[in-house]
Amino acid sequence: MRTAAPPPLPRVIALYAIAGIGLAVWAFPVFWGLLTSFKTERDVLAYPPVFVFTPTLANYREVIFGASSIVPNLVSSLVVSTLATALTMLFAVPAAYAMARLRFPAKRGTGFYVLATQMLPPVGLIIPYYLVLQKIGGLDTYSGLTVIYLTFSLPFAIWLMVSYFEDVPLEMEEAALLDRAGRLRALWHVILPQVKGGIAVTTIFVFLNAWNEFMFAVVLGGNRVRPVTVAMFNFISVEQTQWARLAAGAMLAMAPVILIGLFAQRHIVKGLTVGAVKGGGRR
Amino acid sequence: MTGARSLEQQERRFALALLVPALAVLVLTTTAPLVYLGWNSLHRIDLGMPWLSGFAGADNFAKMGSDPRFWNSLALTGIYTASTVVLQVLVGLSLALLVLQIPKGQGLLRVAAILPIVLAPVVVGLFWRTLVLAPDVGLVDMVSRAFGLPSHNWLGDPQLALISVIAIHTWQWTPFAFLVLLATLSTLPPDVYEAARLDRAGAWQRFFHLTLPLIRPAIVMVVILRTMTALSAFAAIFAATGGGPGSATEILNLYAYRTSFAELNLGYGAALAIVLMSITLVISYLMFRLRRARR
Repeated sequence: MRTAAPPPLPRVIALYAIAGIGLAVWAFPVFWGLLTSFKTERDVLAYPPVFVFTPTLANYREVIFGASSIVPNLVSSLVVSTLATALTMLFAVPAAYAMARLRFPAKRGTGFYVLATQMLPPVGLIIPYYLVLQKIGGLDTYSGLTVIYLTFSLPFAIWLMVSYFEDVPLEMEEAALLDRAGRLRALWHVILPQVKGGIAVTTIFVFLNAWNEFMFAVVLGGNRVRPVTVAMFNFISVEQTQWARLAAGAMLAMAPVILIGLFAQRHIVKGLTVGAVKGGGRR
Repeated sequence: MTGARSLEQQERRFALALLVPALAVLVLTTTAPLVYLGWNSLHRIDLGMPWLSGFAGADNFAKMGSDPRFWNSLALTGIYTASTVVLQVLVGLSLALLVLQIPKGQGLLRVAAILPIVLAPVVVGLFWRTLVLAPDVGLVDMVSRAFGLPSHNWLGDPQLALISVIAIHTWQWTPFAFLVLLATLSTLPPDVYEAARLDRAGAWQRFFHLTLPLIRPAIVMVVILRTMTALSAFAAIFAATGGGPGSATEILNLYAYRTSFAELNLGYGAALAIVLMSITLVISYLMFRLRRARR
């Protein structure tokens, strides 16, 4: 009886070839951007393309210390993303616990409401926010951007946390059936430690999404608060594109999310599947 | 009995105390602005000519009927959403099925798949515009020149531009479908397959009768999530083509944005946003219905 017989060699080679193409298509543009960021503008436009060249740090020097420094933009991104992430987690974790575990009236309706807010197209929100913030002088401020970032991060974080709370074994709840102070204490000391991993993953996702946000930043930001995603356009104008500087700026701007992605790789895959696979089994 | 009752009451009160802050934030930051959006859509709000602003009733919506740019953007939204979602699921599922069979090196591909997902769409759009799709010196043209093929103006030609932005979106988000489906596939019990193998079921038969029904919930969920992302796609297209050339890649989302913030006609922009939102809600409602019906 043949159980898992090893596949024949040509087949294995074909499989690896296809996997290799997938690898190249996804990783090569990023790798190419990394190479470009160390090239001079002349090497960038060379044909045939050069793989061996004298690397230069001039592009990084320019985007960090030069006239088109993106350091202030990195600071903007960091401030807005951190504020938005902290507020999101503060509101999302308790709400998610209640939705996952407690009985209360209109529970289903509440779930649908949170889901519906997640479906809103951002362009529908940006118009009223622009008009209101313009009136109250909230354009180009950290608070304005932080508040609108909650619109996409809060529903997302609530749903993701709900799926983590649902994984906590029910026996843990027994402890929670005390007086009100007891419930709160049980939530803090018994339940929350169980979902530490989930909180970490959710925090990473929320931060990542806030860091990468563009539409809100470009409309509601300005000269003072200009997140790094908007600053990428500094290197592109009608007359010319500064390829190497753009590549260096992009590498710098994306370094945090790429590092998060690589280090938290397992968690990200789990986070994606918790949202998808478990979401498939809900209700 | 009264003890149980007060316990229940207590639980309810505790739940409300935990929920109300988050719900209050959601109402204030999403629902209230939406009501204001609806109100705005009934007005003429022209920041370029503020003296013309005022209540306009349903004028903005009536205007859409005879606005070719609106119908164009609606058609483009349909093409863009349908093609990117179908491509992501087909490519992602095929790749997952193949990769599942390779004994070693799956991890490397999983790491590579993370890269596009974590990048900001605006950076992806700019990368493709410069490094990948630029005429002559971009990666695609370099490869095609090496094979003696002509170079193309990928983002300058209207039809190629639409294909290009679809390719960009597919490049960035196929890894999502791939990773989710690979994870789902690897949780399937192997003994099911063994039984089928003894039955001499062919590979295609095994796939359609065994694998596909088992992973259907995951596929449906991927389709739902990817559809939502495609409908609100913005930054990558904005960075790569800006909606152009002309309005060749101007999906409804970009049209609403350009109307509001390039032409400063916020009233009409609000009406367009209302239409986009209604479409999104109807589609998501239908998809959730479908998901439940199939189970």
